[in-house]
Amino acid sequence: MKLLFKTIRETVRDNIRTPWGIWLAVLSSFLLMALIAGLSVFWFGLSITNLTDLVPWGLWITIDLSSIAVSAGAFSLCAGVYLFGLKRYAPIARTATFVGLIGYTMAMLALILDIGRPDRFWKSLVYWNTHSLLWEVTMCVMLYLTVLLFETMPILASFEWLRKKYPRIAEKMESVHHYAPVLAIIGLGLSSLHQSSLGAVYGVIKARPIWYKPEMAVMFMFSAIVGGIALTLLASMLSARLTPKAKVNDMLVERVAQFLGYMMIGYLYFRLWDWLAQTYTYEPGRTEAFELLTKGTLSFNFWFGEIIFGALLPTFILLYKPTRLSPFWRMLGLAMIVGGVIAFRFDTNLVGFLAVISYLPGKAMISYTHYTPSLVEWASGLGIIAYGLLAFSIGVKYLRVVDHRITSEEHETVNVTSGEAVQA
Amino acid sequence: MTENNVSRRDFIKLSAVGLAVAAGVRTITKVEASEGAKGEHQWVMVIDQSKCTGCNQCNQVCHAHNDINPDLEWNKVLNAGEIDGKIVYLPRPCMQCEHAPCVEVCPVGASYYRDDGIVMMDYDKCIGCRYCMVACPYDARSFNWEAFTGENPAVPEWGEPEVERRPRGVPEKCSFCYNRIDRGMAVGLVPGVDAEATPACCVACPTGARAFGDLNDPNSNVSQILRQHPSYRLRENLGTNPRVYYLPVTDNRIVEG
Repeated sequence: MKLLFKTIRETVRDNIRTPWGIWLAVLSSFLLMALIAGLSVFWFGLSITNLTDLVPWGLWITIDLSSIAVSAGAFSLCAGVYLFGLKRYAPIARTATFVGLIGYTMAMLALILDIGRPDRFWKSLVYWNTHSLLWEVTMCVMLYLTVLLFETMPILASFEWLRKKYPRIAEKMESVHHYAPVLAIIGLGLSSLHQSSLGAVYGVIKARPIWYKPEMAVMFMFSAIVGGIALTLLASMLSARLTPKAKVNDMLVERVAQFLGYMMIGYLYFRLWDWLAQTYTYEPGRTEAFELLTKGTLSFNFWFGEIIFGALLPTFILLYKPTRLSPFWRMLGLAMIVGGVIAFRFDTNLVGFLAVISYLPGKAMISYTHYTPSLVEWASGLGIIAYGLLAFSIGVKYLRVVDHRITSEEHETVNVTSGEAVQA
Repeated sequence: MTENNVSRRDFIKLSAVGLAVAAGVRTITKVEASEGAKGEHQWVMVIDQSKCTGCNQCNQVCHAHNDINPDLEWNKVLNAGEIDGKIVYLPRPCMQCEHAPCVEVCPVGASYYRDDGIVMMDYDKCIGCRYCMVACPYDARSFNWEAFTGENPAVPEWGEPEVERRPRGVPEKCSFCYNRIDRGMAVGLVPGVDAEATPACCVACPTGARAFGDLNDPNSNVSQILRQHPSYRLRENLGTNPRVYYLPVTDNRIVEG
């Protein structure tokens, strides 16, 4: 025990003044805060949040939806690499898979906080209401988390300590990569189902007309793919700039970024029609909620967060060659897309609650409510994000999660070095 | 390249299997869904708005009999506007919808239908995700944001608790006092006729604004009222088919009343 403390003390002393040590210290303080906040939520109950009967879903559900959305790079890039044969992008898919695993565990943490009876979490797996979209999402998320665990096994196997201490286990874990195409198929199926269903969770609620539309599923799916790819590229580029442990092949990243730019045009197309359709005819509840979004309390989020900085500008940045080639502008564009997807999730969730439709007879009356996350919600929410950053940082440092050189031998693809012509 | 082809073929095969399974599951749930709410009795409540004075006594007995936290309400009494300077009230219990959005969305099946149409809550199964509250068009569910531990201020003045208190972290709602119906019928009483077998709010209403009974019985009180008077239900356009009917205030009935 004494020895352990000594080692810890020495490690802390050696690292505290390095950027890595400071980064860890910052994240740890957020985690500590979240731990206190989380425990107080479990102890005192959800009454210490600002959630109400009128706004029963708030910041945590946004974190939940967003972290699942920005994990979508895993299935879309794995599908691209293993099903559509774009093998040279395998190293990016590797990063995306790891980001996905982190994202889904973040969502689990947010959910555990959010449900009123975290002690009964297991019941969602035992008792099935197959009619419920939330049931479908739960099943798919659990199954897909399992798939992600298998997909990340070769990555986890590159942990030095494991390789030295249990070489046979590491070897077994690494051999899982032979099943990458099969896992990619299952992942594609499960992800397509639940990414869309998360939108449909809102889209089937007839009582709240701003949500009640079939395109909710489509837009959630579409925004998840762009957000997921964007976060994967951003995380790769950022780590390559911050640590020598991460190495990116900029040509690969740039190509995917261009593809992402075209995807964004598709996304904007859906959003445009969705927006236009809402402006026609008066429908009680829907019109008021839409006005909250475009003119009211959520309008700043909507216009700047979702549309201008979240979609229009980054599309331009990623499609205009000079800005796409500049690492700074490209990273900025990618960050904007991620922010846009999060803003979309936040606004979509909240707008359905803020305009309250009266059930009294006669002319429809709309009243308005409000919601600002409480300190406890923020503290625990930021802690979940800190956990994600910490897990990714550890992955970059010890598991070579962002390393565009190693995958050639791991996944038996062609060797690619930057600037070299590729023959797939 | 060959490996690639195999995976594509596998993909198609897997998709086919997946679709077949999904289709199978769909058929099964459809069969279950079509069975729902077709029992011998179909309990409905009729609330006469011209008789309701907004005294809130229904709400008080509801709190006592169901041991409800004073911060929560199963049976809100709302001000629904004015006619000729007189305030019109609208008491709102759970609508016990035939096509209840809360039952449809509950991931664990904690909300479910009884054969007599009552929408039930299994408070032991509920995980507290609150999707039912999001889906309910009538705001009929209240969440236990904190545990109700103190004394119930409605007891004993308005009655004695007949059901268990709900724990923290689950939403709760009106159950048409299913416990009174079941206990009453077990000893041969008729809900809607005998007070012991009728929801507490209907028994307590001092003006008799609430009627309760079996819609399957053409001679029941409620069947007769609904035949003789125009009635409406809340947000009928949603297709939920509520089991709570309202008799609107009409000018001549106000004069009568």
